[in-house]
Amino acid sequence: MNSRSEVTRAFDGLASRIDASGFHRIGFTSAVLGEGVSTTALGTALSLAALREETVVLIDANWLEPSLTADAAAAGAPGLADLLAKKVDLAAVVRPASHAGLAFVPVGDRSSARPSLRSVSSLIASKPLAQRTIVVDLPPILAGEPFVLPWAALLDQLFVVLREAATPLPLVRQALARLGVSTPEIVLSRAAGSSGDPLPALRAAPA
Amino acid sequence: MHGYIRSARRYRWLIVSVLTIVWGAGAIAAYVDYTTTFESEAIIWGQRPPPELASGPADPSLSVVQTPATQQAALLTQLFQTESFLREVVARTSLQESIRGTVNEKKTVEDVRKRLRAQALGTNLLSVSFTARDPRIAYEVVIAALALRGERVTQSRVAATASISALYQKELEVTQGRALDLQRQLDEFNESHAGPLTEEEQHRRDQLRLALDFVQIRLGDLRGRIDQALIAPALLDVSGVEFQVLDEPTVERSPRGGAKPAASIAGVAAAAGLLLAALVVLLGTLLSDRLAGSDNIARLAPARLFATVPYVPEAAGRRGRDARTALAAIAFEDDAAARRARVR
Repeated sequence: MNSRSEVTRAFDGLASRIDASGFHRIGFTSAVLGEGVSTTALGTALSLAALREETVVLIDANWLEPSLTADAAAAGAPGLADLLAKKVDLAAVVRPASHAGLAFVPVGDRSSARPSLRSVSSLIASKPLAQRTIVVDLPPILAGEPFVLPWAALLDQLFVVLREAATPLPLVRQALARLGVSTPEIVLSRAAGSSGDPLPALRAAPA
Repeated sequence: MHGYIRSARRYRWLIVSVLTIVWGAGAIAAYVDYTTTFESEAIIWGQRPPPELASGPADPSLSVVQTPATQQAALLTQLFQTESFLREVVARTSLQESIRGTVNEKKTVEDVRKRLRAQALGTNLLSVSFTARDPRIAYEVVIAALALRGERVTQSRVAATASISALYQKELEVTQGRALDLQRQLDEFNESHAGPLTEEEQHRRDQLRLALDFVQIRLGDLRGRIDQALIAPALLDVSGVEFQVLDEPTVERSPRGGAKPAASIAGVAAAAGLLLAALVVLLGTLLSDRLAGSDNIARLAPARLFATVPYVPEAAGRRGRDARTALAAIAFEDDAAARRARVR
């Protein structure tokens, strides 16, 4: 077992449940900043790609802190915002799949457009994305509610990531209330020292 | 509010332990302080000097607002603020031997300043007290302070008497010169006007006589004041009514005077214990207001736990990098390689 697969396997449990639920368009958000949403989205996308043996499209829709775009060194590249502003077409913003099975859409020029229900709807319904598994990295609800709500209505499932023993519950309740979903789904990100070795969790994860 | 009560119940043993330790330590410290504090006290009858024996009946410094006791206590308190006074007090006690040639001298003087007190007990009654760990030192300090105060007052009286006598003497000389001059003018007038005087000459002579009378009265007054200035301090010292020690300080055999500091220590310990307990409850409440684990996800109902992502230690990342860096490397390294290829 090499270290690369060990890291991605930490998300296998989450990816398996998503796969079993039949979700194809999922998003990750949180109550506040620093909950590990982008990491969860990235890890889940990689794990889903391996599980479904198909290309997963990872979209950086975090208007407040586009860290995935920074990781991909695509800060100046055209991206989602340019696509929503109809400055470019989808083919120009999707970075082709890596050998890990991940196609990436950076955030682009955030000043050019903001996500709206109509623009996000037409993007998701577009032919190249309609049959794909899409993972969307979103900003925290309390800080970036306008950037989250259009996606919340259109995704198969929007997950709220909480960091164990760190996220203040009153803020989580406030965020969930703003989200307006009847049964919000929580993804609990374990804190250092709370879980120890990830392998037991991996072994327990469905194949 | 319920959250705080829950926290208090949850951490009750910790709170009890904290309170036991802090309050116990405070109680022991207070007891030790109380049993090792000895106060020596002198009770003094103070009286304002009679106006006729003071520097002068018209002396503006003669207060009528302060009682004699507060006046004397204020004087003593002012003396206790001066370092020279305290150094001299220390020099007359056993403390001097313990601090001689050490850097602790200033600290000792400060310590004496804090614990040497003069306070009015009534209109005429005041006390001078000192608390120390050694009853002998407490006694010595009070004795030394009273003795030194007496010396200082005598010195200042001598100085004041000397200066006021000099002033009166000078005034006397001037007035005597004026009297001689007026006498000479009157004699000359009488010699030059042997016959009957006109109305105007009579008026002139009367003026001279009147002026001479005034000057002679003034001379008598000044002589009286000079005598008074010389005699008054001596009279005060002889009578001893101005500052009379009724109860001499003694070497106390049992603890005394430590109740107030001990109560302060106990109070501080009590407050600190309560503060720490409150802190425990507050921190407990704040910490408990976070999701402790998947078991208490019900606190977010109707939200449900979909999945848990285990913690990935740093060692799991490639070459010891954190999980995020490792994931980014897996996801985007092809992009980076392609970019490098394009550059080449």
